[in-house]
Amino acid sequence: MLKYLARRIALTLPTFFALMFVTFVAIRLVPGDPVEVRTGERGIAPERLAQFRHELGLDQPVWKQFLDYVGHLLTGDFGTSVVTNEKVLKEFFTLFPATVELSMMAMLLAIAIGIPAGVLAAVKRGSPFDHVVMGASVTGFSMPIFWWGLLLIMLVSERWGLTPVSGRIDLIKYYFEPITGFMLIDSVLSGQAGAFASALHHLVLPSIVLGTIPLAIIARMTRSSMLEVLHEDYVRTARAKGLSPFRVIGLHALRNAMIPVVTIIGLQIGTLLAGAVLTETIFSWPGVGKWLIEAIGRRDYPALQGGIMLISSIVILVNLGVDLLYGSINPRIRHGR
Amino acid sequence: MAVEAAVGITPETGPPSSLAAFWAAFRENRGAVVGLAIFGTIVLLAIFADLVAPYSPYIQFREAVKLPPVWEDGGQAKFLLGTDALGRDMLSRLIYGARISLFIGSSVMLVSLSIGIQLGLAAAFAKGWIDTAIMRTMDLIIAVPSLVLAILIVAVLGPSLVNTIIAVTIVYLPRYVRLTRASALGELGKEYVTAAQVAGVRPLRLMFRTVLPNCLAPLIVQSALGVSEAILEAAALGFLGLGAQPPIPEWGSMLADAREFIRSNPWIVTLPGLAILVTVVSINVMGDGLRDALDPKLRRS
Repeated sequence: MLKYLARRIALTLPTFFALMFVTFVAIRLVPGDPVEVRTGERGIAPERLAQFRHELGLDQPVWKQFLDYVGHLLTGDFGTSVVTNEKVLKEFFTLFPATVELSMMAMLLAIAIGIPAGVLAAVKRGSPFDHVVMGASVTGFSMPIFWWGLLLIMLVSERWGLTPVSGRIDLIKYYFEPITGFMLIDSVLSGQAGAFASALHHLVLPSIVLGTIPLAIIARMTRSSMLEVLHEDYVRTARAKGLSPFRVIGLHALRNAMIPVVTIIGLQIGTLLAGAVLTETIFSWPGVGKWLIEAIGRRDYPALQGGIMLISSIVILVNLGVDLLYGSINPRIRHGR
Repeated sequence: MAVEAAVGITPETGPPSSLAAFWAAFRENRGAVVGLAIFGTIVLLAIFADLVAPYSPYIQFREAVKLPPVWEDGGQAKFLLGTDALGRDMLSRLIYGARISLFIGSSVMLVSLSIGIQLGLAAAFAKGWIDTAIMRTMDLIIAVPSLVLAILIVAVLGPSLVNTIIAVTIVYLPRYVRLTRASALGELGKEYVTAAQVAGVRPLRLMFRTVLPNCLAPLIVQSALGVSEAILEAAALGFLGLGAQPPIPEWGSMLADAREFIRSNPWIVTLPGLAILVTVVSINVMGDGLRDALDPKLRRS
């Protein structure tokens, strides 16, 4: 197990290094002089230009700049936003809990609906219910979620007035300092009556939108995995023993059918973070996805560079974690290859 | 994942009777046939847009702004699906939008498929450091969430239709590379390859004429899904203002333009998204049928 662990981690390191290289090169390819972008001045005095270039380290050879960049990253310095003058790392982690909260709710929703729907569809294979689940699954999988979000806002929020249109909580009624950054927790800690309900209320629509694609994938995967397992000998044996259908499906089949589903759930985390960019933009959800898009609009390249570096690192680490977890559950993965 | 499991499974190819066999298998999946019909219609609309569309997608009818579709109150028969905020005919813009989306989807698929096949075969045949270099690069691309990577690329290159295609192509390249490499590695150990080698077949011919045809089944399935994913991804970039720029009638950017009318004119928001959804669903169900027909072992149902 230790050897497997070491190998997996060693495989990740070059990816990190390459990621640093790519973000470094990419940001140098962006049109426009970084000094001009930073100072917002055109045709400034040559001495001032030289001074700025020196301050930014741009008068150094490129390889030295790259080493500096790597050195900064390794010490946790992801640059400074040229718009807010805040450290990118600090801005990122102020907003990150909002994204995590949204993603977790979306995933919970997807699992809570997707797995039972997939199991039922497999058990009742060929029934109208099965057809509905499969049809909904293809539609969900194909959904342009930015449009889905607008459509839901139009119907649920505007026409029926059931949910708020944007934001994380009713800011006019409730205000409190963030403690954990998770609105659901902070609203409880604040002790203000109704704050939690308001936060939950704001989460409903964005979670549905962000959870749609994972839901479709999980339902489909559960169904096909379940169908495979239901043909296995041990399921027939369990049936022959006279166990109730509920026990056969719930205990014997489901447990084995879940292995590929768990992997799929792990792999969805990257998808969720990417989907969060769109969902947050539509619902004005103050998370890292919306922030990244705004950074492009404001030509805030340090923020863009640092943000992409951070999001990608998190996805790589989460995937590594899923891999390790999976390796510890399933010995075949650990010893194979 | 299921597609990768297909390694080493040889599809029926060759004599014309296999086409009939393929069609017979494809026809079994009724959904796939419906998908094919819808997709075929969209393709025809896109090709013959100049003949089918009632107006140019750019003409602004200033006296008929934000009209609802004909079946709603206030709709005009002149504009079947209504008009947008600048008085442009929705139906015409949607039809021309099909042309743009299908162009993006198919060019992304063709470019990433052809580069992917070459890189994948190179990795499988060369082994050693070439293999490592190619596959590690692909791992890096996969490590970054697809939309985030596409955003980075577009931020560097600048937003435009061509750069959208470049960005989405890079994002989807790794799948084709991995799939080709895995399939080719599965074939390399087989006897017909050894026989061809012994017979003195040169490496390039061995790669493209001997091995490649036997790797095609999973690649074809992935290509179909690749078109629909590329359409979605490009529309998302367009929606974020990072894709095709106005006034190009791209579905995603049409949606972005329409966002402010969500309250007053829901139709302007509804129609472009519906066009995206219908197109992508039809390709995806068609892809399912393709997979079932080409690879019975991969059947999910």
